Amino acid sequence: MPRLRIADTKLSHTAAMILQAVDAGFIYGFSIMEMTGLPSGTVYPAMRRLERDELIDSQWERQSIADAEQRPPRKYYKLTGAGRVTLESSRRRYPLLERLIPSEEARRV
Amino acid sequence: MKSPLEAAACAVNVGILRTASLFVPARQRMEWRSEWRGELWQARSQTRSKFSWAQEREIAGFCLGAFSDAFCLRQIERKVIDRPVSAAQIPRTRSLPLRVFSVESAWQCLLFLVALVGASYGLARILPGVRAERSLPEVQVRSGLVLIENNNNDDSLTTISSGQFQAWKERKQEFFDGFAFYRVSRERVNLGPVSKGWGVASASSNLFALMGLPVRFSQTDASVDADLPSVILSEDVWKREFGADPRVVGSVVRVGLRRATIAGVAPVAPWQLPGQVDAWILEPDSRDPEKGSGYVVAHLTPSGKSKMDAQQIRITSYSPHRSPDDLLGIRINSAARGPWDAFVFAVLLAFLALPAITSVSFAEESVSLHEISWQRRFCRSGFLAAKIALLLPLLHFAALDLSYGFFPFNVNEALYLQLVVTFFGCLFGMSWVLNDQRRRCPVCLRRVAHPARVGQLSRTFLAWNGTELMCMGGHTLLHVPSLPTSWFGSQRWMILDPSWKFLFAGPVRD
Repeated sequence: MPRLRIADTKLSHTAAMILQAVDAGFIYGFSIMEMTGLPSGTVYPAMRRLERDELIDSQWERQSIADAEQRPPRKYYKLTGAGRVTLESSRRRYPLLERLIPSEEARRV
Repeated sequence: MKSPLEAAACAVNVGILRTASLFVPARQRMEWRSEWRGELWQARSQTRSKFSWAQEREIAGFCLGAFSDAFCLRQIERKVIDRPVSAAQIPRTRSLPLRVFSVESAWQCLLFLVALVGASYGLARILPGVRAERSLPEVQVRSGLVLIENNNNDDSLTTISSGQFQAWKERKQEFFDGFAFYRVSRERVNLGPVSKGWGVASASSNLFALMGLPVRFSQTDASVDADLPSVILSEDVWKREFGADPRVVGSVVRVGLRRATIAGVAPVAPWQLPGQVDAWILEPDSRDPEKGSGYVVAHLTPSGKSKMDAQQIRITSYSPHRSPDDLLGIRINSAARGPWDAFVFAVLLAFLALPAITSVSFAEESVSLHEISWQRRFCRSGFLAAKIALLLPLLHFAALDLSYGFFPFNVNEALYLQLVVTFFGCLFGMSWVLNDQRRRCPVCLRRVAHPARVGQLSRTFLAWNGTELMCMGGHTLLHVPSLPTSWFGSQRWMILDPSWKFLFAGPVRD
């Protein structure tokens, strides 16, 4: 029953953009900011809420990779199953979403 | 290698992040800092080429966003703690108390206000200024008193000479039966080994008697030297210089070139006489023109009172040379304005000004077949009344604490500050009370939560556009239009029937 509720969640346009950005391969905070053009004070809190609602999931990058690139490790985000369902319904609600942030496959084409 | 400017900018950014991290719940803080450090590195790496203020401003703006993130995390953490995890995990017997005492509950709101009232009252009992104010006797000046001054509407100018005053005093008067004169000057006063500059009022010996003001700790026995003029200390000086010791009465001090005996302490009253006075030295009136000019206080005869029905009266006096003097008599009100009057006045003003900052209307609609019982409506009105009833004493004591905390023994300045604090406190306090009431579920009185934007702004006139909020007890949904229209002008409540209850963790009451 809770899954049904999550799938039916009506996301704000901002949250839907962030979800679309994560799906399109922009998987850490700053890259999402750059892609969406939203300020940090909007993106990070929205990501916390999406994570709280189990629409996205986070994972720390391995230290060895960060060391190899001589930078601090990043926290990467990815869509959960519920997140994908919600994103699908958000795409129906906001038809321009996919054109604003095309997915990785679309960009390659 | 970083330039000094770049290093300073980096330090500022790290400082912003560290400050913001203090708002993050402790158990998430380290991880949060690591994430933001990584993100900051990313932001700086984009602009590493050359130092520029525009870039640094952008990066600082990026870092300031960390505060929103920190507050958001804190809010999420609090809701996780307060929220029942699931209906299965929480026994039914525990679900009701949990909801009643949750953060947003009506009880907690009232308890919070009660705690604030208690704290402000407790502070009022401790602060010496407030205690002194409360311990004062009700001091009122005699009725029918008039302050006579030249018709120049400037209290700071003393324009009546002692000679002129003596001439009035000696002449038979129809409208006045008593006069007193005083003038204020700055004089050195010797207090043992130290000397200080005080505002000393040289006054007629009958000034306090004429005004009907009792002098505290006054001594009339033989211990007081009758040959020396008397000094009446102001309450402020008595406390500041003599530690509020009543045994100081009877001791001799040197005021300027004169020796004088301290004869008592003037009562604290909202003095309506001009001049900043630390001590009053009472001595017989003198015709000496060298004494300079000052203020005259007069008492009206019954016929004078009948003539003076306004706050001010114009008086024409003729000098011994028959030249007319145009004077102004200003009534000294017998009813002294105290903190309570200031509070009532400020509250009244605030209520009049309230519609300017918020809507005072409770117009709302219900779009449901389910009616709210009259008991629930009564509770809701009672809750509003309780909030207002708690807000007013809170404001009263908080304003007293602030004003008499800042100006412990200066009644006039404390009154002005109290007036300002009460006015703005009442204005914004009532605004909070009304806005809070609009966001409370009419069934359980908890604040509705989880705002969701619905609709599109561009379709405001074609379809519903606004914010939806939800009662976490599962009783109601609140629809607030983003732009009031003729068909959706005020907020609407939708009462949820028990068929919705499967969506909520706890059982739906009502």
